[in-house]
Amino acid sequence: MPLPTPPGVAKSLLPQPCVLVIFGGDGDLSWRKLLPAVYNLNKDGDLPSHFAVVGFGLPSTKEGEGVDPDEYIRQRARDGIERFSRQALDDAHWADFARSLFYVPGSFGDARAYQQLKNKLAAVDGQFGIPGSRIYYFAVPPQLVEACVKHLGESGMVNDPKDQVAFTRCVVEKPIGRDLDSAREVIRIVDQAFAENQTYRIDHYLGKETVQNLLVLRFANSIFEPLWNAKYIDHVQITVAEEEGLAQFDSETGKITASRIGYFEGIGGLRDMVQNHMLQVLCMCAMEPPHSLDADVIRDAKANVLHCLRRMTPAEVKQNVVRGQYIEGDVNGQRVPGYRNEVRRFFEEVAKKPIPAESVNSSTETFVAIRLFIDNWRWSNVPFYLRTGKRLPKRASEVAIQFKDVPQVLFNANPDVPLEPTVLTLKVQPEEGMSMRIASKLPGPKVRIYPVKMEFSYASFGATSPEAYERLILDVMAGDATLFMRRDGVVAAWEYIMPILDSWTHERALHLPEYQCGTWGPVEADRLIQEDGRQWRTL
Amino acid sequence: MSDTANPILPGAVPVPLEDVERELSRQLKAPRDDKREVVQLVRMSNLVIYCDTVEAARQVGAQVPDVVAVHPARVLLLVGDNGTSATTIHAAVRVQGHKLGEHQQACSEQVVLSAGAGITDRLPFAVRSLLIGDLPTNLWWASPQPPPLAGSLLYDLAEHAQQIMYDSLGWPDPAHGVAATATWLESVERFHDADRWRVASDLNWRRLKYWRRLVAQALEPVDVATITEVAVGHGPHAVVQAWELLSWLATRVRWQVQAGKVQPGVEMAWRFLAPQGDVRFRIRRTEQGPPEIKGMRIRCMVDDKPVTLDLISESAGKLVIRLEGTAAEPRTILSPDLSLAEVIGKQLSDRERDPVFRESMQVAQAMAKSLLA
Repeated sequence: MPLPTPPGVAKSLLPQPCVLVIFGGDGDLSWRKLLPAVYNLNKDGDLPSHFAVVGFGLPSTKEGEGVDPDEYIRQRARDGIERFSRQALDDAHWADFARSLFYVPGSFGDARAYQQLKNKLAAVDGQFGIPGSRIYYFAVPPQLVEACVKHLGESGMVNDPKDQVAFTRCVVEKPIGRDLDSAREVIRIVDQAFAENQTYRIDHYLGKETVQNLLVLRFANSIFEPLWNAKYIDHVQITVAEEEGLAQFDSETGKITASRIGYFEGIGGLRDMVQNHMLQVLCMCAMEPPHSLDADVIRDAKANVLHCLRRMTPAEVKQNVVRGQYIEGDVNGQRVPGYRNEVRRFFEEVAKKPIPAESVNSSTETFVAIRLFIDNWRWSNVPFYLRTGKRLPKRASEVAIQFKDVPQVLFNANPDVPLEPTVLTLKVQPEEGMSMRIASKLPGPKVRIYPVKMEFSYASFGATSPEAYERLILDVMAGDATLFMRRDGVVAAWEYIMPILDSWTHERALHLPEYQCGTWGPVEADRLIQEDGRQWRTL
Repeated sequence: MSDTANPILPGAVPVPLEDVERELSRQLKAPRDDKREVVQLVRMSNLVIYCDTVEAARQVGAQVPDVVAVHPARVLLLVGDNGTSATTIHAAVRVQGHKLGEHQQACSEQVVLSAGAGITDRLPFAVRSLLIGDLPTNLWWASPQPPPLAGSLLYDLAEHAQQIMYDSLGWPDPAHGVAATATWLESVERFHDADRWRVASDLNWRRLKYWRRLVAQALEPVDVATITEVAVGHGPHAVVQAWELLSWLATRVRWQVQAGKVQPGVEMAWRFLAPQGDVRFRIRRTEQGPPEIKGMRIRCMVDDKPVTLDLISESAGKLVIRLEGTAAEPRTILSPDLSLAEVIGKQLSDRERDPVFRESMQVAQAMAKSLLA
């Protein structure tokens, strides 16, 4: 029986012994994020005492052919940790960690491979004293999830959700569908084998300290929540800016070294960033105070925000949404190509033949700006401006709450030089922290007002913050779904997005507004906010 | 790794552009000699400085420590032509501390971004990535090219700036520069959205503060309707300073310029229409001396007697009014001898739009047009 928790205190859930089974265990996500995250958890002593990782899938690299699978995944993990881990690889910890890494090669559509996986898991259970609990992490393209779920169910590898001894949970990566219908289909597919309380739909943004801190800031301090409404807040800006484009090139040869175009083309920024990350962050920012920290209570509060989003007609989409695509420009002092050029070169490499530039007429948006409203009492007529784009001047994500101007009297009496408004900013990346801009008198005999910025950085706590994946993997082990998307939240987010997508589909625009790489987006986005007498923040 | 030979900011470490923030952070956290010292990063604004050449940037760079001592800022010092044909922008980084107290040190971030002549237009991209949000951005246009004639580079650099500071001292073609300034001020300071504003400031105007005060005091006992002639003498490069003083005076007394003529390199002269008739204005350059106003002579009547008010910069920090033709004792006012860094430091904190400056520049524009007609 768990220890009782005093009323009002958050449940402290402990990660439970289990095997983490990573589908696509040697793939890019696993290599860059998941295996380094698990290593860091191991190094910090956060993993349960009985724990192992088993990768599953056909080896995706040449190194995986004809070698011992367990040694292969250990090499792959070591390489990923050396490159991407928050903490440097330590040989003593590595030796301990590597012993718990295994790999089962096999196709996701092959029933025999699941039998081999099942046998391996049984052996690992015995070796590590694990009671049969499993976390199946689907680090695979969305179209492969169905086969994985089907075979897991048919192989009897999913326990009853009420099983108190050996739990089974699955982690589903975004994108959850590419529109409302396909999202419902993904939910249905997973639903065939896993109950809702066994399903963890991950959005790594919610694992970031600052995003979690949004709730702490609002509900653990007395000064913010009374101001957190339409009476005092002028508007909110949520920005996710990325410096990188969709392809990286070798500066010597000009060849593509890495690319997300295969995934991104036809998907675009609205689906890739807004539907999930940004709306989730918006929910944390705008939700009503939950009556407890229970996962479902918080997820209810978030879902309520999504239900209150004002849906747009096609005419309103034109007024409130701007999309754009980057063209050649300058990033970090280097000339970089436009998106269509990247698409052309990507498909040339795939097709291994030249493709004429004029035949590439992608209308995939690499930039989106939205003005949206939450139709409830708290946020009545407060605009929320969302902006995300690739190849912007810097990598920076933040939530900025801009408070209303003080009256135009006293220190704000000069209309030529109005005082800068008070702004509370929560920085999500690259450095997590928060800041507040306030007005202050400059020292001296004259009354001169100048904006000052008070800053807090998470780095000032000393230790480096855990990566988002570390926190979220730990939550899955502990059975805490607070930071994961519930199905109704996913559906509600798609319901908001669909009118925009439908409008764009009918519009069939071949030429989107363009912006140079290294600028803050198309001029149409500036006009969107300027027509309200406001401006995008300088990040 | 320290490039003490950096000609612009000694001690600045060369880094790839994408590593600037990382290097700033590293230098800030680097151990100090005095372990008890509290090190604090201070910044009130972003200060973007544009210079055309390495030599100009070196001179400006020498002022940077004094500027940030008065007005802490993240400094981005741009060099438009570093004398190379490089196709990438070079960055060098320095975190510089200055003592605040016995065990306290304030640090400022200073970055040099230099471009080959062919890629100057790419500097604004680099600037965008290095600005700090929520802090005002000031652009110091430290180029002899008048801002109105500078083209798109200035507009791109000023994209996020709330203040553009320029210095009309030493403009190579003063008449064309002055002719374009009033219109440029109007365009550069106007925004359509209410939340946004920008001011442009001429450092020469700030330098004139004490001269304007002196002239106002000198004219106190004078009926301005008796003034017949005003002449200003100035050292090399200070023609616009003298011009701004005259245009300010014309603004105050509301006289209209009628005609002007120029004797290149020597004298400019105008005829103004005043209620009492024509008034002659002259600006005369001397061959030697510092780049500043040396003196001003105003012919007028006091107590129905013709007199000449002689206003002189007598010595550093001292302006004198003499009333020739009378026995009156000279009067003096103190005029602090501000260094360039002090002028910049004061201007950075002063963001009020000065309507008198704008009016004066409109008159100056009319004066310029009369010369160019």
